[in-house]
Amino acid sequence: MRYFIKNANIIDPARRIATIGNILIEHGLVAQVFDMADFGMPSEPDQGIEVIDARGSIVAPGFIDLHAHLREPGDEHKETIATAGQAAARGGFTTICAMPDTTPATDTAGAARQLADTARRQSVVKVAPIGAVTAGRKGSQLAELAELAEAGCVALSEAGRTIADAALMRNALSYAAMLGLPLLAHCEDARLTNGWAMHEGAVSTRLGLPGFPSSAEETIIARDIALAESVGAHLHICNVSTSGGVALIRAAKERGLRVTAEVTPHHLTLSERWVLGSLAQWTALPRTPPAESKKRKRGKKSEPGLGLPSWLDPSLLPPYDASTRVNPPLRAEEDVEALIEGLRDGTIDAIASGHSPQSMVEKNVEYRLAAPGISALETALALVLTLVHRGEIDLLDMVAKLTEGPASVLGRAPATLRPGSAADIVIFDPEQSWMVDPREFVSLGHNTPLTGQKLKGQVMLTMVAGEIAYRRGSFGVGTGVLRQASKLEGILEE
Amino acid sequence: MTEKQILSADDIRRAVARICHEIAERNGGVRNLVLVGIRRRGVPLAQRIAATLLDFEGIMVPVGLLDITLYRDDLAMRGPAPVVHSTSIPVDITGRVVVLVDDVLYTGRTVRAALDALNDFGRPERIQLAVLIDRGHRELPIRADFVGKNVPTAREERIETKLNEVDQTEDGVFIVR
Amino acid sequence: MTSTSTRRRHVLDLDDFSQAEITEVIETTASMKEVLGRSIKQVPALRSKTVVNMFFEESTRTRISFELAAKALSANVVTMSAKGSSVEKGESLLDTMRTLQALGADLIVMRHGEAGAPYYLAEHFNGSVINAGDGRHAHPTQALLDLFTIHERLGQIEGLKVVIVGDILHSRVARSNIWGLTIMGAQVTLCAPPTLLGPPGFWLATWPSLIITSDLAAALAGADVVMTLRLQNERQQAGLLPSLREYSRLFGISAARMALAAPHAIVMHPGPINEGVEIMPDVASSAQSVITDQVTNGVAVRMALLYRLAGG
Repeated sequence: MRYFIKNANIIDPARRIATIGNILIEHGLVAQVFDMADFGMPSEPDQGIEVIDARGSIVAPGFIDLHAHLREPGDEHKETIATAGQAAARGGFTTICAMPDTTPATDTAGAARQLADTARRQSVVKVAPIGAVTAGRKGSQLAELAELAEAGCVALSEAGRTIADAALMRNALSYAAMLGLPLLAHCEDARLTNGWAMHEGAVSTRLGLPGFPSSAEETIIARDIALAESVGAHLHICNVSTSGGVALIRAAKERGLRVTAEVTPHHLTLSERWVLGSLAQWTALPRTPPAESKKRKRGKKSEPGLGLPSWLDPSLLPPYDASTRVNPPLRAEEDVEALIEGLRDGTIDAIASGHSPQSMVEKNVEYRLAAPGISALETALALVLTLVHRGEIDLLDMVAKLTEGPASVLGRAPATLRPGSAADIVIFDPEQSWMVDPREFVSLGHNTPLTGQKLKGQVMLTMVAGEIAYRRGSFGVGTGVLRQASKLEGILEE
Repeated sequence: MTEKQILSADDIRRAVARICHEIAERNGGVRNLVLVGIRRRGVPLAQRIAATLLDFEGIMVPVGLLDITLYRDDLAMRGPAPVVHSTSIPVDITGRVVVLVDDVLYTGRTVRAALDALNDFGRPERIQLAVLIDRGHRELPIRADFVGKNVPTAREERIETKLNEVDQTEDGVFIVR
Repeated sequence: MTSTSTRRRHVLDLDDFSQAEITEVIETTASMKEVLGRSIKQVPALRSKTVVNMFFEESTRTRISFELAAKALSANVVTMSAKGSSVEKGESLLDTMRTLQALGADLIVMRHGEAGAPYYLAEHFNGSVINAGDGRHAHPTQALLDLFTIHERLGQIEGLKVVIVGDILHSRVARSNIWGLTIMGAQVTLCAPPTLLGPPGFWLATWPSLIITSDLAAALAGADVVMTLRLQNERQQAGLLPSLREYSRLFGISAARMALAAPHAIVMHPGPINEGVEIMPDVASSAQSVITDQVTNGVAVRMALLYRLAGG
């Protein structure tokens, strides 16, 4: 199948391009890009080509997700590779990296190959396996890391766990360096987070919930940076959530270390106040305790007017709603500010969904006992776009953090729309608003704190290797010169 | 909304005096008596009756106050919960004649609740009922022993009693429709 | 006459109570206390209502207090003790609630080890919920009985200087009292070692008027009310304090320390008491102690709340 995307607002961060034009897709590749509208339109009706009219929408390279929990094998009631793939396509992602915390874990070459094989057969998007660092993710014995690399793992990670033994972590980083793979580190000192329910701060104090202190993340980030430096490894910090963590990563980058980082859409936009739910409505919680925030700020004047956008309203939730429980927890608003700043100044390289589907069995319990996680793939883009709509970051940079950024973390050629590159493409309308209803999710995980929220930004079409993986309604079904030709093929019948 | 006065301050004073005479006559004196006012306007009425009896008979009749909120049988009518006030009965009522006092007798449900409440405080020899106004429309087989004035009313009308001690205005009884 | 506010459905914490409503509860409590002083200590106000006490955490005194309160109002009372969390039991809270609903419960009184559990219950249950203590979050009936006791002894709450001493970080009693006392206009001081308190900013963010200190002598100077809290032995095992002996020496309320407070000051404790740790035996049994009044008043306060939710 060949496609001709016309009237496209093309954003291609890898080439620093934002323009209007047309794109011709053939044999699964971007064949030609015409940088001005109406150029390149084949003058003769052509057999076997569908015209997609993308007027008013953005056309960008498909998103790459560094961090998704696919749950298969082992927890197929929460998600499968097939449903995660559909959810990814619906969210505009064309490649998702599969965290190894399945049952059994992706800790052998066989497990990695099986995952890749299942994905090839069942997923509409590309799935890249991540290998576990230790056998069974038990933190005691290294997994066979070189064989995991041979089996196609694009990175190594202990997925949601920190290797408590610093010596073992250093050995793992040494191996990762030898293999040329990034080590994706979840940073949490479990002794400091024992029994945690949410971020330790004003809200946990008010609600009487045991806290996950920021320092539990920051001490491990500091440790792992030092360990990575000592062996020359590429350390990648998984969903950084604290202002202190951002500062440590920034400092490491300034020293020229190979340290990269990702952040999730929810940590960029939601805060601890979401745990208050409807209690947030009439309780004036000042943004930060004044004394402490001074110390933590890094020479940046706080910018006024950064609040929740009016269309995100935590008071739609009841207090203590388990959908807000995620690891790391939703942090204070000053942390959210620091994460946005980190995204802006390049400290944070990528936005990763952190997609963590749970079934209602794991969520319909007392808050602290609820399994952490947010089903994030299908709301990721719209949530991040709230920052664009608010003027926090520009659209080109945002797309970069979803495409070029994650590709560079993986040490791959950047996702781009240059002729000859794979036709992994997303088309989204940044202005279209919609109401989040988890019952419409294709992910099996309906766990989201965003139920009932109005978001702006909708994926219209996702193309993986030149084939349509997701299309919203009859989006882009052609008008104009090729209508006749298309009709001959019966494409317009849908 | 119209408001018509049916008893003046003087009328009320005369009605109280007449009720006092009847109480004394019916009970052969006032020695064994306890007056129990039903909150709120039954309380000042009971106190006035006690004061008048002291004038007539030279005997101080004890006065108790009864809050019947916790005995009401109209739980199904869900509104904001009424405020509960204290009940205070200064003497043991067992073996004595209790005269319950209220301003208006209407359906009889308040009196029924008051009878229930009195039950929890002892076993009186007899219970009598004194009211300033009987407006009819009984829903229970209850009648007053001493009545200041019988006032035929329609159900949609309202009787408003004003007593100086509670309302801080001149005494009076009004019919409001 | 009816109450000033619209009908309340649940009592989950004091954070949604106004000063007027707390005042009303205090007044109603006084009336309920009068009922408890009668020879027949029972009124028919909640006849035909079913109250279920759901205790996921053992608490003899609170459970008995609620049972007596419900019985004094002629409600049908069922008590269900279930140790451990629903997860440990393999039965979900939701399932238990649905069963009770199907059996006709009008009001559930719940004690639970997890903060927020009553909110979850209230979200799904058709009737009313009273929080009888959830994790370290809230214990609104205890706070109301404390407020009633203070008002009964000192005639007012507004403007009083109240010091809460001890393991505040882990205390639901402290949190609900901070709400109640602040709403009623008292000046509240929190006094504890930092390990049992956390950063002051975390408290001030919600309650800017609090005074927070680890200096007990300064906190007690001129206090009208000294509220002591139970120190669980496991706090020492968790490394939050060096020893009970040192803790008692620094933060235990002794007669000498009480002398720093105002002459009319009262001392309170939600019980059960660790005598010799957070409070010395002679103080607990002194004329300044209102600890047994608190227990007595607990039944009356719970009657007032049960009536407020299910009566009228």
